[in-house]
Amino acid sequence: MRRLIVLAAAVASASSLLGAADAALIERGKAEEKRCVGCHSLTIIGSQRLSKTGWERELDKMVRWGSDIKDREALMAYLVATYGDGKPMPKPTLSADASASK
Amino acid sequence: MIVHNDFPEDLESLPEYLSTWITPNDAFFVRQHLPRPRTSAETHKVEVGGLAANKLSLSIADLRKLPQVSVPAVLECAGNGRSYFRPKMPGLQWTKGAIGNAEWRGPRLADILAKARASTKAQFADFDGLDVGVGKTPDFIRSIPMRKLQHPSTILALDMNGVPLPDLHGGPVRLVVPGWDGASWVKWVSRIELADKMHTGFYMNPAYRYPKNPVAPGSAAKPEDLDVLEGMAVKSFFARPADQTKVQLGTPVTLTGPAWAGEHNVARVDVSTDGGATWKTASLSAQGREFSWRIWKSEWRPAKPGYYTLCCRATDTAGRTQPIEPAWNPSGYLWNAVDRVGVLVEG
Repeated sequence: MRRLIVLAAAVASASSLLGAADAALIERGKAEEKRCVGCHSLTIIGSQRLSKTGWERELDKMVRWGSDIKDREALMAYLVATYGDGKPMPKPTLSADASASK
Repeated sequence: MIVHNDFPEDLESLPEYLSTWITPNDAFFVRQHLPRPRTSAETHKVEVGGLAANKLSLSIADLRKLPQVSVPAVLECAGNGRSYFRPKMPGLQWTKGAIGNAEWRGPRLADILAKARASTKAQFADFDGLDVGVGKTPDFIRSIPMRKLQHPSTILALDMNGVPLPDLHGGPVRLVVPGWDGASWVKWVSRIELADKMHTGFYMNPAYRYPKNPVAPGSAAKPEDLDVLEGMAVKSFFARPADQTKVQLGTPVTLTGPAWAGEHNVARVDVSTDGGATWKTASLSAQGREFSWRIWKSEWRPAKPGYYTLCCRATDTAGRTQPIEPAWNPSGYLWNAVDRVGVLVEG
């Protein structure tokens, strides 16, 4: 029984470490995303909901168009975790005049 | 406006601004592929070259000296409604409002091409604007076939709804290709190059192409199975009431919105207040000029409280009608499903 508890604790600790590593990777990806603003705002990224393959294709296109992505692994992790195809659609962003009329 | 992109500007009109024949300039959708260039009506020039005997360099004042025609016409982004396709695809996630109807005014392309003495070998004109891509982003160049350029309603617009064309909408000069997708309506036009072949740049191929035959949702299409988009689909939607509106029993409800059909004319709009089980024909505003939209209207007096699904469906003079499910396509173009809104009638 004691052995089982030790094993469970070890698994939990490994998974928490893995979670921390993922979180760090995603955080790095979020920072990398800011590099996109030379060509377009981040709003358009946040409105997409794409699969991993879909995001890979988008990044391939951006690289062809001159984007200088330094940390692609982190950017991919961030995009899939934040704007993956299973995520709910965001609420529309309204301009100030439209917001005022609501 | 719904802000899809702050830079470059991609802004969508709210349905409530789309219930009148003319869409005000301030409420008109904006779609920029590339950052907006800096230019002015005083310095801007349009160069005409390629397969033409008389090369031209026209100022805005020169263009205003040519005979001017007014063309009320719908401008719609090919990807309007893209957000409704499943599975989803990348691109601006437009809902209903990447569309508007304006009165455009300026000289006919046919007059400019005659002045340039276009060669009979010319099959296309390539239109380039002053906008340029960041990094290696391709330049936005569109080829329009001569048969469409010779149409008397194809113009270089200098005015929009009675005022000089705002630079947000391509001022001081943009191409107006009535009945065709918005990508053909090149903004800040600075060069017109006559050619015997279609331009091969990104914005002619693979962009703005549509499968010749429908493809399974989520699948790719071979490049040879795609055609250049030209005329637009038949379509109508609810400008009012908004989806998920609550109304009181006993209060009449006005159902209304625009209907249009690309290069064809709208023949009728039918509405349903029971999810499409039964339909009745809506009234239509007078037939304006071809290429502009008509406003449909129907009064509804709900008989009892409850939740209702309202539908509208346009049919055009070519016999086309809005489908329940438009053909999925890899770029998400030409969404024109029967439009639906939900209304809760409270007793």
